[in-house]
Amino acid sequence: MRIGLEVHVQLPTRSKLFCSCPTSAQEPNTAVCPTCLGMPGSRPSMNRAAMEMGLMLAKMLGCRIPERTWFSRKTYFYPDLAKHFQITQYDTPVGEHGVYKFQGKDIRIRRVHLEEDPGKIKRVGRAGEESSLIDYNRSGIPLVEIVTEPDISSPAEARQFLSDLLTEIRHVIDLPEDGERSVRADCNISVGHERVEVKNVTGLKNVERALTFEAVRQTKLLRAGKKVERETRRFDEERKVTLAARKKEFEEDYGYIGEPDLGIFNIGDMARALALKETPLQTAERFQRDYGLNPQMSRQLVQTSMDLARLFEHMAEKVPVADVLPWITGTISSLWSELESLDDEMRDAMTGLVASCSRGEMNDQECQMRLRALITGEELTLLQSGAEELEGTIEDYLDRNPAVMEDYRKNEKSANRVIGEVMKASGGKYSSSQVVEAVRKAMESRR
Amino acid sequence: MDRDTVTRVAKVARLELTEEELVSFHSDLEKVLDYLSVLDEAPESGSFNFNPIPVEDVLRDDVPVQEHDPAVLLRDMRTYQDYIRGPLL
Amino acid sequence: MFCAINPDLDHLQDGQFDFHFSAKDNLTTVGLPTRAGSRILEGYRPAFDAHAVEAMRQAGGLLLGKTNMDEFGFGTFSTNSAFGVPRNPFDLDRSCGGSSGGAACATAVLDGHVALGVSTGGSISCPAAFCGVMGLTPTYGRVSRHGLLDYGNSLDKVGLISRRAADLEMHLRNIAGPDPRDPTSCAQPPMGKSAPVRSIAVPKDALEGVSDEVSRSFQDALDRLRDDLGLKVETVETPSFRFAMPSYYVLGCSEASTNLARYCGLRYGVQSEEITEHFDKYFSRIRSENFGREAKRRILLGTFARMVGFRDRYYMKALQVRELIIQEYQRVFQDHDLLLTPAMPFTAPRFDAIDDMDILEVYKADYLTIPPNISGMPHLSMPCGYAQGMPVGMQFVANHWQEGLLFDIAQRWEEAFRLRAPEVTA
Repeated sequence: MRIGLEVHVQLPTRSKLFCSCPTSAQEPNTAVCPTCLGMPGSRPSMNRAAMEMGLMLAKMLGCRIPERTWFSRKTYFYPDLAKHFQITQYDTPVGEHGVYKFQGKDIRIRRVHLEEDPGKIKRVGRAGEESSLIDYNRSGIPLVEIVTEPDISSPAEARQFLSDLLTEIRHVIDLPEDGERSVRADCNISVGHERVEVKNVTGLKNVERALTFEAVRQTKLLRAGKKVERETRRFDEERKVTLAARKKEFEEDYGYIGEPDLGIFNIGDMARALALKETPLQTAERFQRDYGLNPQMSRQLVQTSMDLARLFEHMAEKVPVADVLPWITGTISSLWSELESLDDEMRDAMTGLVASCSRGEMNDQECQMRLRALITGEELTLLQSGAEELEGTIEDYLDRNPAVMEDYRKNEKSANRVIGEVMKASGGKYSSSQVVEAVRKAMESRR
Repeated sequence: MDRDTVTRVAKVARLELTEEELVSFHSDLEKVLDYLSVLDEAPESGSFNFNPIPVEDVLRDDVPVQEHDPAVLLRDMRTYQDYIRGPLL
Repeated sequence: MFCAINPDLDHLQDGQFDFHFSAKDNLTTVGLPTRAGSRILEGYRPAFDAHAVEAMRQAGGLLLGKTNMDEFGFGTFSTNSAFGVPRNPFDLDRSCGGSSGGAACATAVLDGHVALGVSTGGSISCPAAFCGVMGLTPTYGRVSRHGLLDYGNSLDKVGLISRRAADLEMHLRNIAGPDPRDPTSCAQPPMGKSAPVRSIAVPKDALEGVSDEVSRSFQDALDRLRDDLGLKVETVETPSFRFAMPSYYVLGCSEASTNLARYCGLRYGVQSEEITEHFDKYFSRIRSENFGREAKRRILLGTFARMVGFRDRYYMKALQVRELIIQEYQRVFQDHDLLLTPAMPFTAPRFDAIDDMDILEVYKADYLTIPPNISGMPHLSMPCGYAQGMPVGMQFVANHWQEGLLFDIAQRWEEAFRLRAPEVTA
């Protein structure tokens, strides 16, 4: 099975690709101007940020970037396309011949190019003769299109590929979390020899569903000795099936010509001047190599937060990795969401604590408490007295229930009972991680 | 250029031609294309630009601005609840 | 000659304004219709003034109205407008030329008038020559095209028509300059003063195919440039100019066919109140009913020239040929300040003669104005004589951005040559 994807991602610019209209709007047709409405006498002008984002992604995907680029007009008629030509890139995409490393194999990237999104159509009325209601707020939103070679071998792999790709993109161009919903893909899949294209599938889940449906459909056809027809289909999200798109009367001829209103762009120099941040998955791979982290842990680290990953690196420069990891994946990770900001001062303070613990200058409990105070801003003395109180509660419980220790010596799981009781008794005063740690410590010492 | 090509080009361009127009445009276009064949004699230079003067690296800062009131732009459009009414799909 | 008059004219007082001007109907104007000679734009109310209109108003100009033109600029005689045909003030049975015919006509009959024109392949030089006035087409990119209804985006230039050389310079300074709303206007150097013109190049075959009367006037003008103005006049060879016209029609029509794709009965211009047709059917019907014959012809030609299988032979080749022509001009300008030819091969033709012309004859009438237009060179059409009462024009071409040389020659020729006003008045 061969699968190739044409992925469209909206770029998170503040203004549109070829006009200054805002990219965020609530009511239909409010973020519009003569340019994105295709009014006579209007013309485009190029958004620098969109060009830079396009180049960053081309770089990230290891593409060859040409010295000069320009835009082209792709002419076709559809009610959502204001000018009846889309300004896109034809002969000189911002990137070509890239490769994306994915689960130990190479997914080749054919091209990466920039283009404008058309408006959005709301279909109303009876199927087959639906009317269109058009919202041009989306008209002119910058899109990057990433086209892969057919190197993906299953629907599940396609979804995982997209998910990984988005993690990287999100980081490189600061794509907001909900960017995922605006990802659209044209999916090409062939089980036998003939290729079928499922157009305009929205979201990761639907990509997998559409491809799975299509794989099954094609396999059944082939098993029955029938032929798969080369065609364009669409995905019905409600019914989760692909349907033959209405046959066009004839093949459109886009008749590409250069766009004279924008001029050309010397992107070679521009691309060289752009520093590309290491992407999360690249960082994860480096952690495996350099620090001997296992794949799962390194991935989890970068996916929690790239700041956490950087903190880990900073500590690992000064403290043995084996002493850093438990803190990073334990206390610090669990309190991460409470950290307001990670400035240099905070970073150095945390590193200092972990370092002195590693040198044996303070015990684990002390270190944990101090880290907690640092991150959450709680009073250390309160924490200390709290910790003492907690310890007292546990010791108390263990004294009153000696049978528990007997059980514990046979099966460590019996600690859970103690944890549960203490949590209940303290009425949620302590975090579960705190209780877990304290209970284990107390029981270990009695063992 | 044969008649079928004229018909196809008209379709791509979304023009419905009457029989009279088809005949007359066919003959006009044949004449013009015949004349355009002079181009085949021009040397290939390989180099080309989309403008007669160099227009390079004209980029705009990513700052949202709306110069025109959308309500004015939409005043002559056929609308339904802020949407532009379009043809059937 | 006007296809729309400023509705506020009656309330405005003369003293409020420093001068009056008009705008070709393909420049957007707030408060006046903008139809570019096309029925498909009936009802369009622009929300903004074109840059040149805005600049002229700011300079103290009173906009009298919109001047008639060939639909979207497609024509040589202003006979392709949906809103009537302007008549030549020197002989009402003859054409004003095109496509800025109304603009040249207004300038010829209104004293002190300055008209905003637009040239893609000669649409300023031609009517200026036929109506006996001066027409200035600046370098491509000198004047912002914001608010211009596009014909060919790599060819269109907003320019001026006037009867006074000083007006051309003054108003070009008003409307020129970089405008972020048109990126191609942001590449220009400032407009400076130039040294006086000393030498003029005339292509060897400049008079090939030119009528006898135009030839005679042109020869006389050459003598006076040499003898009265003391200029060096030399013959040069320009072999690649013969490729200019085919390239122009390929590039112009290719670009036009994409620019005109937007006109489809949605959002502005002609629109159905209730649309009950499938979009293909609706767009095709509106376009077929409302585009004129020449517009359809050029859309067909342009669509064809960029289609798969033909694109390399026509569109891509024409782009390369344009480079060739630019290089040829620049070779000439190494040794000469200006290049000179007649503006049109004949004087304004009679309407009945135009009716008898076939399409290729009409297209070929522009062969002298196309080379500077396709290469973006600034050029100036000046009256240089009269033949049987009809004006004859000559056309000076300068290198990119050298409008200063054109102002110099315009002023010096103006002093040497007596301009006639037509006897008819508006």
